[in-house]
Amino acid sequence: MIRLDGVGKTFRGRDGAEVEALRDVSLNVAEGEFVAIVGASGCGKSTLLRLVAGLVGVSAGGVSLDGQAVTAPRAETAMVFQAATLLPWADVLRNVTFPLRLMGRMERDTEDKARALLATAGLAGFEGRLPRELSGGMQQRVAICRALLQEPRLLLMDEPFGALDALTREEMSIELLRLWAARRMGVLFVTHSIPEAVLLADRVVVMSPRPGRIVDVVEVALPRPRSFDQEGSDEFQRCARRIRAHIFGERAARAA
Amino acid sequence: MARLKAGLPAWLAVIGMFVVWEGAVRVFGIREFLLPAPSAIFVATVGAWPNVLRHTMATLGTVMLGFAASVVISLPLAMLIASSRAISAAIYPLLVVTQSIPKVALAPILIVALGANELPRVIVTFLVAFFPLVVSSVAGLLATPPELVELGRACRAGRVQELLRIRLPFAVPFVFGGLKVAAALSVVGAVVAEFVGADAGLGYLIQTSMAFFRTPLAYGAVVILALMGILIFQAVTLIERILFPWSSGSEQSAPPSA
Ligand SMILES: Nc1ncnc2c1ncn2[C@@H]1O[C@H](COP(=O)(O)OP(=O)(O)OP(=O)(O)O)[C@@H](O)[C@H]1O
Ligand SMILES: [Mg+2]
Repeated sequence: MIRLDGVGKTFRGRDGAEVEALRDVSLNVAEGEFVAIVGASGCGKSTLLRLVAGLVGVSAGGVSLDGQAVTAPRAETAMVFQAATLLPWADVLRNVTFPLRLMGRMERDTEDKARALLATAGLAGFEGRLPRELSGGMQQRVAICRALLQEPRLLLMDEPFGALDALTREEMSIELLRLWAARRMGVLFVTHSIPEAVLLADRVVVMSPRPGRIVDVVEVALPRPRSFDQEGSDEFQRCARRIRAHIFGERAARAA
Repeated sequence: MARLKAGLPAWLAVIGMFVVWEGAVRVFGIREFLLPAPSAIFVATVGAWPNVLRHTMATLGTVMLGFAASVVISLPLAMLIASSRAISAAIYPLLVVTQSIPKVALAPILIVALGANELPRVIVTFLVAFFPLVVSSVAGLLATPPELVELGRACRAGRVQELLRIRLPFAVPFVFGGLKVAAALSVVGAVVAEFVGADAGLGYLIQTSMAFFRTPLAYGAVVILALMGILIFQAVTLIERILFPWSSGSEQSAPPSA
């Protein structure tokens, strides 16, 4: 469905200095596939997501969705940012429907769908609350509902649980898998947590920095539905070890 | 009820001040045309009431028109400035120039140019009041977190939509901050204009009263001006609280984690 072909991205800083954020990145995400991206800070994960979202343009190579070049944000993709980025003036329900209202895609049953979605995310009864009346985890769930309500075929998530504590994080991962299983869209999921990546994804893309590039793609052959009980399994350990070796092996090499 | 209680210390302070004032004037026998006692101010003001009311309404008219003009002109101006760097570079210096001209100096010129009617007074009021409103509105529009702007872009919002659906709502608390300053300054502006050229209004009343050493009446006019400022300020606060509850509440609580 989504296809990155030799994608490169170079930013020109304010002082004119160039930063090569991505070099020669090629990646496919199939319809309904869950792909996680891990890598050290600054290796271009967010940039990669923003390229796929059509928020920034490529410097080299190409990004295409169903064979069409991505040059601007598209209706088929939805993004969950690292911070919840809710509108502080709108209540939960209006936050969740905001993208559809903005795009003029509100239908008669959209609000009911939003309520149902909020209920599955454990937010029933909070539709009329303002974002600042919610906990961080609840805000993030609202942000995820907002993306899901757009019924995207491709969901882009940039460290969506980054601001959450470990407990909420585990709970949210399982919840996300449940929601994903119910509607089967392609997911590109950036995270700093290796266990999270292995637990969630069909494939884990490992990136390395300066310039950002893909160093390995790890297939996770764990059966679904997944749970944290699988963390002890051999397959889980194998995947996690392999990813860790790429990330920390490199760090050790750089330190030497 | 809780709010009345919260306002109690302020009321006590004001009442205490008047008591001390009244007592000092009586004990030290201060002459009335130098510093009238609160009771004398009250008597003088009530004694001339129909007249005082007429002047109050005249000033209130100028204040409201000037304030309305500030709002109607400042908000679109702020959006224009915030939407383009080139426009902002062109307009901002002009605005600063209007601010560095003393309005007292401008008032007589405007009256000669536009005639001795309401218009030059409204313009002076506007010139005194609008600048902080523009500045704080622009600040609000530009302070919109880049994440929210990016959210808008990801939802395929155009520039106009971004301005109206994301930046403008975000700027509401800033706009109201500016409105409160503009409300207070409108009263100042109207009185400045009346000092220079008017045949009615509290500014005019103060001038004519002082010319005839009717100091208590002048003081009465000053008190009414202060009350007018407070009332308009409170009205703005009330409108904010009713129409934009998230805005007034967010002052106390932590900023939204956006
Ligand atoms: N708009 C920009 N202008 C200039 N440089 C940028 C810009 N965005 C990103 N960069 C640079 O590109 C590189 C990759 O940034 P990116 O945000 O994609 O990293 P990341 O992998 O998401 O990091 P983190 O895990 O910390 O979020 C960094 O070196 C960063 O300085
Ligand atoms: Mg990032």
